[in-house]
Amino acid sequence: IWVALLLDKPKSTMDMLQLGDWTFNADNGYLEGLVRGFKAGILSEADYVNLEQCETLEDVKLHLQSTSYGSFLQNEPSPLNVSTVDDKLKELLVVEFEHMRNQAVQPLSQFLDFVTYSYMIDNIVLLISGTLHGRPASELIANCHPLGSFEQMESVCIATTPADLYNAVLIDTPLAPFFQECVSQQDLDEMNVELIRNTLYKAYLEAFYEFCQELGGRTAEVMGSLLQFEADRRAVIITINSFGTELSKDDRAKLYPRCGKLHPDGLARLARADEYESVRVASEAYGEYRPLFEGVGTNPGDKTLEDKFFEHEVALNKDAFLQQFQFGVFFAYIKLKEQEHRNIIWISECVAQRNRSKIKNYVPIF
Amino acid sequence: MSGKDRIAVFPSRAAMTLMKARLKGAQKGHSLLKKKADALMLRFRQILAKIIETKMLMGDVMKEASFSLAEATYSAGDFSLGVLQNVDKAQTKVKSRKDNVAGVSLPIFECVSEGADTFMLTGLSRGGQQVAHCKELFGKAVTLLVELASLQTSFITLDEVIKITNRRVNAIEHVIIPRIERTISYITTELDEREREEFYRLKKIQEKKKKMRDENEAEKARLQALGQRKGR
Repeated sequence: IWVALLLDKPKSTMDMLQLGDWTFNADNGYLEGLVRGFKAGILSEADYVNLEQCETLEDVKLHLQSTSYGSFLQNEPSPLNVSTVDDKLKELLVVEFEHMRNQAVQPLSQFLDFVTYSYMIDNIVLLISGTLHGRPASELIANCHPLGSFEQMESVCIATTPADLYNAVLIDTPLAPFFQECVSQQDLDEMNVELIRNTLYKAYLEAFYEFCQELGGRTAEVMGSLLQFEADRRAVIITINSFGTELSKDDRAKLYPRCGKLHPDGLARLARADEYESVRVASEAYGEYRPLFEGVGTNPGDKTLEDKFFEHEVALNKDAFLQQFQFGVFFAYIKLKEQEHRNIIWISECVAQRNRSKIKNYVPIF
Repeated sequence: MSGKDRIAVFPSRAAMTLMKARLKGAQKGHSLLKKKADALMLRFRQILAKIIETKMLMGDVMKEASFSLAEATYSAGDFSLGVLQNVDKAQTKVKSRKDNVAGVSLPIFECVSEGADTFMLTGLSRGGQQVAHCKELFGKAVTLLVELASLQTSFITLDEVIKITNRRVNAIEHVIIPRIERTISYITTELDEREREEFYRLKKIQEKKKKMRDENEAEKARLQALGQRKGR
């Protein structure tokens, strides 16, 4: 771990020493070292080339054994299928994260809690819709993402009406402030569950951004750029995906997180957009987003806008590791691991379905 | 079953006419059933060809659809749980109606889509286009599946009916008609024999009569000869 730390020496430490740098390692040095060690185990381009050449899922398992994943699939009965690989990868990430979370102290512990809130939002939306449709509680809880689990999960399943849910249960969850900010009890009843999810996520992003800005220093810088990109990306994608649906422009505008670079002019233009062209024009006004819209098309062989966004996200997350003594590395590590997870599952699906035409559609990280 | 039986009738000309009428009826029935079997067979072969074609297409469509699901999951994350939880009313329904082929009613299934799309906003913040593409492909797969289902039920129903019809055709051809024919030939032989008996009887009676007449004549002649001798 210390070797990894030395190899990863950022260039900027010498010219931008800040106050927090001296005391950072006291509380968080072990964990930063740990996460940099984990980062060194992320699959490289060569690993991906090897995986691409596999013929069956057994080959994939074999190749993964020689990487930092080791024999995580050892005890699975054959024949192996993609959903097992998916579950095991998720388990690994959860174990790593829990370890870090358990060792963390304030303010890192609160930071890591913020990271889990996005999974919590997905879980809560799943629990709410499942409960309102009468599904059994055990099934719902088994389907929740483990990184987003919180103590009151079972009590969400007990509530029978949206009124109950709102007044008694949601108030106690860690996501209560997000609910209070934008979702009223009536909304729970009538709003489409996707809208609830996106409204909560918007409140979460904005709260997270403010938290990072309060932490100040390098964390604010690094996390600021990451969260701004996330906010802008959501705004653009929500706009594009809402064309042709019943979502009105006003409702759509309520879903845009306001902590990104597009706020306020870009968001206003996006809110009025009617088709893809206007979205493109609105976003290209901002220099960093212009190259993302080039070369996008729907022909086979072209990248979609989503692919370009994934690539840009990976680039930004890699940059987060260039600075030392900030919390951004934890967030970036989780996101990069998720991308790696997506890549592995994508390649496994292509191999399992014997459809290699688009096997190169993943985003290599290192 | 023994091949020598015939219908038990009293051999008379009336019975003969009756049997002849029945034979005609059986022959007409046979030709009608044969025509029905042929028509059903034709339809059967057409359905078979279509089933083969549809199944090949099905393989490709399902492959594409599963691949598009993998693509959608790549961009949108695991949206399958959300979709499963939110299902309430069926959007795509199957309506069935009856189609008549040569007297056989075959069920035909049609895919009907009604109601608004409750999942229009799935993947709103990521992967929405891939989810929509996935929805489209699976919709096509469902339509194809429904078509295949109606083809297969028709296939099975037709198969049964063809078997039954062929059995009837064969029964008429190999059992009913020969039986009637045998009955007719039996009646004919009986009638012929009776005629011959009758003829023989008549002949015998004529002989007898002639003999009696001859005897009478001989007696008379004898009596006359006797009388003549007595009268001198």
